Amino acid sequence: MAADPQSRGERWLAYFDQRLGRVEYASALVSGVVIFLLMILGIVQGLGRKLFNAPIFGYIDIVELAMVVFALLPIAYCQQLGGHVRMEILVNRLAGRVKWGAELASTLIAFAVIAVLGWYAFQHGVRAFNNGDTTIDAEYITWPWKMLVPVAFAILLLRLTLQIAGFWRLVRNPAAAPIAVPLPASVEDLAEAAAREALVDKGA
Amino acid sequence: MSDPLSVGIVGIVALLVMVLIGVRVVYAAAAVGMVGLVSLIGWEAGAGIAGTIPHSKSVTYPLSVLPLFILIGFLAFYAGLTQALFDAARKWIGWLPGGLAVATVFATAGFAAVSGASVATAAVFARIAIPDMLKARYDKALAAGVVAAGGTLASLIPPSAILVIYAIIVEESVGALLLAGFLPGLVSAMIYVALIVIMAKLRPEIGSPITGYTWSERWRSLPGTTPIVAVVAIIFSAIYFGWATPTEAGALGAFVVFVIALAKGMTRKALGGALVETAKMTVMIFSLIWGVLIFVRFMGFAGLPGAFAEWIASLDMPPVLIMIAILLGYAVLGMFMDAIGMLILTLPVVYPAVVALGYDPIWFGIIVVKMAEICLITPPIGLNCYVVHGVRPDIPLSAVFRGIAPFFIADVVTVGVLLAFPGIVTWLPRTMMGG
Repeated sequence: MAADPQSRGERWLAYFDQRLGRVEYASALVSGVVIFLLMILGIVQGLGRKLFNAPIFGYIDIVELAMVVFALLPIAYCQQLGGHVRMEILVNRLAGRVKWGAELASTLIAFAVIAVLGWYAFQHGVRAFNNGDTTIDAEYITWPWKMLVPVAFAILLLRLTLQIAGFWRLVRNPAAAPIAVPLPASVEDLAEAAAREALVDKGA
Repeated sequence: MSDPLSVGIVGIVALLVMVLIGVRVVYAAAAVGMVGLVSLIGWEAGAGIAGTIPHSKSVTYPLSVLPLFILIGFLAFYAGLTQALFDAARKWIGWLPGGLAVATVFATAGFAAVSGASVATAAVFARIAIPDMLKARYDKALAAGVVAAGGTLASLIPPSAILVIYAIIVEESVGALLLAGFLPGLVSAMIYVALIVIMAKLRPEIGSPITGYTWSERWRSLPGTTPIVAVVAIIFSAIYFGWATPTEAGALGAFVVFVIALAKGMTRKALGGALVETAKMTVMIFSLIWGVLIFVRFMGFAGLPGAFAEWIASLDMPPVLIMIAILLGYAVLGMFMDAIGMLILTLPVVYPAVVALGYDPIWFGIIVVKMAEICLITPPIGLNCYVVHGVRPDIPLSAVFRGIAPFFIADVVTVGVLLAFPGIVTWLPRTMMGG
């Protein structure tokens, strides 16, 4: 997106942005596939239970274990695209250094809270490992799945670090072309995006 | 340390300030919730509780229906449903005054229900229905208004992700909420239809009837609409008759749409795109849920929702007035905020108060979701109106807003009807419970 980055720092920023972006995209694709498998599993379970009186053993356990993949893993992907819900009415009215400063402050808050949550989520996983914690019905071990939470948060922290660097750079030089930051979308942008999305409906 | 209640109030103010300055809701709610917990019960206990919530509150079976409903929505765009729906609706009911606009209401209601995407529905039908209406010399404002308004029927008719979220946040039955939306969704659509028919009767020049279709043409238009009917019927009947959990029904619905999308030539790349989009929206919603639930845990320790509910219940005012004030509050808030974010953020405090006033939790869910949808067509934001204008730049924004005005009034009438006859909401879920 950035037009011809100049300095070495900017090149690195763009490079890491792109590299991390691939990891994030992969995380989203994995969770998309898990959602697809959840669909298949749901049908097998529904039909098996109804028609053949043969439900999948530990179905609810499997679903609850797998949910962590799509509930948390792509959180950084969503952050990269600026997809997490927020109120933009004020930020959109700001301009220049003030605007980038506000974005920097929000991102620092996000970093701080995710860092603490991530650490305690990790402890949560460690406890599950030490206790040999399992699911209720089928007694599957839970710690590898619980450990996906700190993993997801670690990727998110990397993303937030890049965004902090990106916004810091813009605070120092508000005229620069943004690198590695999600751009606030105006209502008109959102409308346009929705309209574009609608165009995929070519099958009609 | 000051008393928990004041800490809670400081927390609410802090949350509002953070959300206003643009901190994403998940981080703002989690930050305030965590700091609040720490200040009430100490660092290790407070942060420890907060750190388990992202996992423990996300991985509960009832929530597993969400990604499936979202998947249905993204796949629906590849299943070629939109044109088929509009054609069928036009052939069957085009003969009414303002027939094409009426057909648009039915087609958008059907597609919005299945796609669950209000804004996207408006965009799609701006491309499909507006050209036909303008060709038939329909009034521009009416054509744009009906498309923008039709999308808002998305959240009530099952499958509806937002009703699932409401059910989880207030700990009500997901199935009951999904059923409860069905009749109010139909009532909303019918009030739109009545409005169009009356307007076209009074001023025939805004939209003439479309006639001349034979019965065989009509019958032949139906098979294209079966996926929509199938998805709604599967989810509705599974829950009503209890032959499947919402997750299993959602899986079957998604599979039906998936097969049809494949038959319509959806490529592997398009499927990948739909899966990634589904993942993105899913994680966005789950993040909101656990973020706000950290805040809710803090509120619980502070005892604030209970205190607020007590205060509301002790007010010397008729409950209906308080309810109307709450609804107006939502109308204002909805102008500035996304519907899901607004609900998740406010319900933890507002909901106990509403229950304390003696209102039915399921009824309130439907009303509040309807309010959130109305906000999609009210200025200053009115996202659906911008979308219609975005797709059809030849129709000025002012004309879209002029066209939407009657539908806004119709929606206010709908809310009034639901206030006066709560049975429209509660009857279906109640017969399910009894049956």
